[in-house]
Amino acid sequence: MPRARDVPGPGEGVAVSFGDQLAQYVVSGLTTGAVYALVALGFCLIYNATRVVNFAQGDFLSLGGLMAYSFLGGAGLPMVLAFPLAVASVALVGALLERLAIRPARSRQVMVLIFITIAASILMRGVFKHLWGKQALALPPLSPETPMHLLGATFTPQNLWVLGITLVAIVALVWFFNRTLTGKAMRATAINLSAAALMGIDAHRMTMYSFALAGALGALAGVLITPITSLSYEVGVIMGLKGFAAAVLGGYGSFLGAVVGGLALGLIESLAAGLISSVYKDAVAFVVLLLVLFLRPGGLLGVKSGDRV
Amino acid sequence: MTTQGKRFFLALAALAAVLAALPLVVTNPYYLNVLNVVALNVLVVTGLNLLIGFAGQISLGHAAFFGLGAYISGILTGTHGWEPWTALVLAAAVVALVALVIGMPTLRLEGNYLVMATLGFNLIVSVLMLQLDDITGGPSGYTGIPPLTFFGAPIATDLSFYWLAWGAVLLGLLLARNLVHSRVGRGLKALHEAPLAAAASGVPIESYKVKVFVVSAVYASVAGSLYAHYYGIITPKTFDIFKSVELVTMCIVGGMGSLWGGLFGAALLTPLPQLLAVVEEYKDIFFGGILLLLLIFLPQGLVGWLEGKRVRPGGRAF
Amino acid sequence: MAALLTIKGLSVRFGGLQALDSLDLEAPAGAITALIGPNGAGKTTAINCVSGVVAPNSGQVGFDGRAVLGMAGYKLARLGLTRTFQNLQVFGLMNVLENVMVGMHAASRGGFAAAMLRLPLLRRQEAAIRARAEEVLAFFGLDKVAHQPAEELAYGDQKRLELARALAGRPRLMLLDEPVAGLNAAETHELGRLIVKIKEQGIGVVLVEHDMGLVMRISDQVAVLSGGRLIARGTPAQIQQDPEVIRIYLGGGEEFGLLA
Repeated sequence: MPRARDVPGPGEGVAVSFGDQLAQYVVSGLTTGAVYALVALGFCLIYNATRVVNFAQGDFLSLGGLMAYSFLGGAGLPMVLAFPLAVASVALVGALLERLAIRPARSRQVMVLIFITIAASILMRGVFKHLWGKQALALPPLSPETPMHLLGATFTPQNLWVLGITLVAIVALVWFFNRTLTGKAMRATAINLSAAALMGIDAHRMTMYSFALAGALGALAGVLITPITSLSYEVGVIMGLKGFAAAVLGGYGSFLGAVVGGLALGLIESLAAGLISSVYKDAVAFVVLLLVLFLRPGGLLGVKSGDRV
Repeated sequence: MTTQGKRFFLALAALAAVLAALPLVVTNPYYLNVLNVVALNVLVVTGLNLLIGFAGQISLGHAAFFGLGAYISGILTGTHGWEPWTALVLAAAVVALVALVIGMPTLRLEGNYLVMATLGFNLIVSVLMLQLDDITGGPSGYTGIPPLTFFGAPIATDLSFYWLAWGAVLLGLLLARNLVHSRVGRGLKALHEAPLAAAASGVPIESYKVKVFVVSAVYASVAGSLYAHYYGIITPKTFDIFKSVELVTMCIVGGMGSLWGGLFGAALLTPLPQLLAVVEEYKDIFFGGILLLLLIFLPQGLVGWLEGKRVRPGGRAF
Repeated sequence: MAALLTIKGLSVRFGGLQALDSLDLEAPAGAITALIGPNGAGKTTAINCVSGVVAPNSGQVGFDGRAVLGMAGYKLARLGLTRTFQNLQVFGLMNVLENVMVGMHAASRGGFAAAMLRLPLLRRQEAAIRARAEEVLAFFGLDKVAHQPAEELAYGDQKRLELARALAGRPRLMLLDEPVAGLNAAETHELGRLIVKIKEQGIGVVLVEHDMGLVMRISDQVAVLSGGRLIARGTPAQIQQDPEVIRIYLGGGEEFGLLA
């Protein structure tokens, strides 16, 4: 299983103060957390539009990294072109998933649709393996790796890129959903599908946009995280599951919850791995998931809603 | 007895006859082994179908219950020298308790919280199987599990296990059928379709959902124990989240809410990866593709399709 | 006659809306108690509180001398209190007979283990459940469609199926939420006759209904709700003369014609 590579500690071998260590864990936790947040946002988008948990969300992440790899290395494009192109092409794949697998489905039962995304995930991973092989690939970071120091923590420009671009993506999303007509139409469809349809909104199209946007977010996560972890056809499986846990942690379906849940999960994981034991690092996210479901199923920010009869 | 009841027992008798005749034709141990794996999958899927098809809840953690059954049986007999059948019963009891702990808080809630909780649970169990290597043997697996015995005679060959595994399937189908055609089974179907009306009719919804989840987990545990004693070696990979997905897929492809559907789904999908080994590199593409087409165009499942069942759209139309 | 159902000081708020304001009501056995009022008066809310679907902010509900407020729906069914739903809640994929057999759930025994082992007790009970379900289906004239999936039934038949299911377990009190809404005059008349026959078996009936003709014809007592408050109570004849009721229905407009 791929895991975040540890950022080199300040002065290897030199005694490090506890405070510095802690700062270090916070930096790496927030970085991974930001990526979880992007993945969690993708889950929310599709869930709000369709009530479906999209199990192909992690594969969007893999594909984002893989496409970026090919545009850079294969086509020799510069980064400023390769990365946006990778994001755009995965958005297209997301739209195709809706158009070719979800929309023609003869059953609208959520359970069946969820398993359609699982089948699509298996299929996509098969295709990735065929096209890019099984070996681990590498994606260069967005700018040269010169470590910087702040408040005792050492971090690389990539840490800043991840946090910065995630922030920009979230702001752009908020702007899109509150300020553009398409964004408002998508929100209306998520809230009340039939009412939206009656107002002349093409609900199918809005659902497709949700998948495209989820694809773009997944790809962005892939482009950002794979320089830190490694890149392979199945890197998205575990990242997807953690993003899912983050979405549940924040309250499934809530955008703000996805961001908070992602960052919180990244921090918890990093601190648990650093302070307790890294052996169970991958289990931490899911222990947190179970605890949230048992104790606070609406998520950290969520409120329990009642049904009206 | 009703006509429905008669039809079930006729079908069960026919299945038993086919099963009794099969070893006369199939003598190759490789094919017997495939049939045995199919049997264990059918057993898990039969339990799972009670949960998915009749109570309308999904579990993505049944591979973990399957695995817990296998590991508890394996470790109790291998490390602690327990008698295998006693170990099987204790494993089932432990798994029932675990399912109760997971099911109670999550099945109380509206929505698909069980699928999230079981998914997380399976991932945790996988990590534990890998990391607790003093007890579980870690990634390379746990070895040295003795076979089950029948009046002192070990059930060690593929053929003798064939009788045991398929006998367990017939028993499992019979018990499941009895449940479905009882007041409890009607209550389960009712709570899936119209929970308020079910409650107003006296169906204790939460407790029924939890109990059917526990029953389905016990089916998986028993299959896991049988698996451990059959192979003698178990590895964590056999019980990961992908196995859980595969099990639910068998339910859906065969036909949710039909006990025969589980049989068909498992019989079809178990050997499929092996069959697709011919196309080696394209294996996952074919498997995913076939699954995708079945789910898009035959969501009522193979048995549902054969019976001419209409697709019931259900859910939100979008 | 001692009241079977007693409601005291029942209040419910949904956000800023006072859906029920300190409602007092009694419903005896062997009688039809109608609950009428304009839309939004709180009739369904009252039924939902009694049947445990909605939790009130304050008040008491007694059934046969026992406090039942906050009790889960399935336990109420075991005590002999059943209900129907305004928007149909039939089990669509199950056949009509099975729907009614579910109605016998509270009146039968046996859990998972007994069911899986198909113990002799359960086999005998199963036959009794089936016989009772067939009897109830015949009572409602649904015996001819017994083996059809419930979702394929005509609307009027589905309405009667709801009643059949609620009656199957031999309840002592039935809460009927608009049982004739959407039915034509002949169907309404027929169902009214059946509701009277149910009452004559000694079962208490609480009837929430907009069809004033039916209410005035079959009810033993009528309670009028408006804005969550009880504004009048009495026999149908008294209610028809009540100036407050007439004023409210005049204000409500369209339903006044039915009162005359």
